Amino acid sequence: MLRSAPTLLHASGLLAAAVLCAALGNALAGPERQVRWFQAAAPILAPAPPAPVPAPAPPPKAEPAREPARGPEAPRPDRAHRFPPDPATVIRDISSRDAWDAFILKAPFLDARRTAEFAEGHVPGAWSASVWEAAPEARITEFEARANPGMKDPIVLYCGGGDCQDSRLLADKLVALGYRNLLIYRDGFPDWAAKGRPVARGAER
Amino acid sequence: MTALLLHPRITLAARFILGAVFIAAALPKLADPPGFMRALWNYLLFPGWALGPMALVVPWLELLCGLALIAGLWPRAAAGWLGLMLLAFVAALSINLARRHPVDCGCFGSHPGPPRSEPERLAALRWDILRDLGLLLLAAQILAATRKP
Repeated sequence: MLRSAPTLLHASGLLAAAVLCAALGNALAGPERQVRWFQAAAPILAPAPPAPVPAPAPPPKAEPAREPARGPEAPRPDRAHRFPPDPATVIRDISSRDAWDAFILKAPFLDARRTAEFAEGHVPGAWSASVWEAAPEARITEFEARANPGMKDPIVLYCGGGDCQDSRLLADKLVALGYRNLLIYRDGFPDWAAKGRPVARGAER
Repeated sequence: MTALLLHPRITLAARFILGAVFIAAALPKLADPPGFMRALWNYLLFPGWALGPMALVVPWLELLCGLALIAGLWPRAAAGWLGLMLLAFVAALSINLARRHPVDCGCFGSHPGPPRSEPERLAALRWDILRDLGLLLLAAQILAATRKP
C-alpha cells in the first residue's frame, strides 16, 4: 500500500494538471471551440429516437393535396396552412420536397450543424445554432429576437443528414421553450446541396 | 521468458509507442472539444452533466500522460491513467457493439469524409476495440516492468 503512494500522488498530479489545462484552454477558446463545463438543461441527453419510426408518415398523403397549390395561377398558400401545427407531434420529419416548399414559403430554417460547416455552405437565410458549441441558448435567443417566430409557426431544422441527431437535439431545446411546430428536414444539407438548390456561404445568414 | 518480456528496451519501446499514440489521439480532440463532446454523447452512456468535464479533461489527460511517458517522467502514474482510460474505452465500445449501436469512435477526432454505412462502422468498432486491447498490453508491460520489488 505504502509502495503505491508515490504513484497515486503522481497520478493525482497528472489529473490536476489536466483539469487546470482544460480550464485554461476552455477559457481562452473562441465560442466555436468552447464547451460548457456543466450543461444546464437536460434535453441534450434525451435518448435519440430510432430514426425509421417517424420517417414514413408525411410524403404520400401530402402529395395530391399539394399539387394544385403549386400551379402557376393558384394562390400561394400560407405556410401555416401548408404546415399546420399538430398537437400530437410537435416534432416531425418532413421530406426533401416539403423542405423546399417551406423554403419558398419563407419558413425560418435553423442549421444545427457546427459553425464551421455552416460557413462552408447553408440554406440561404438559415440561422446557425449548433447544440454542441458554448452558447446555443444565446443563438436561439438571437433567432427569436430577430425572426420573432410564433409558437405554432413552422420552423425547419436540419443538420448533416444520415443519422445526424443534432437537429433533433435542437428541436428538444425549442420544445422546452414552447415551440410546437418543429419540422425536421432529415436528409439535411447534403440533400439540399445535391438537389442543386441555392446555397449561401460564409458565417452570415 | 518474464525477463525477456520485461526487458528495459521493450519498456522503452512501449513507452514511446503508447505515448505517441495518445499524443496523436489528444491533439484533434483538443482542437475541437465540441466535436468530441458530440462523439461522447453519441455513445449514449454518459449523463448530460458529465459530457462537458469529460470532453474537456480527457484529451488533456491523454496529452499529459503521453508526454510524461515519452519524457520518462512518472511512467507508472502515466501508464496507469492510460491503462484505465483504455479499459474504459474498450468497455464503452464493447457495450455499443453488443447493442449494435454503430458509434463513431471519436478516438482520433471526428471521422472525416462521407458518412459510412452501419456495417462499415460496426466493423470499424471491432478494430477500435482490438487496437485498444493491444495498447492495453503495452500499458500493462510498462506497469509490470516499473514495479519496485
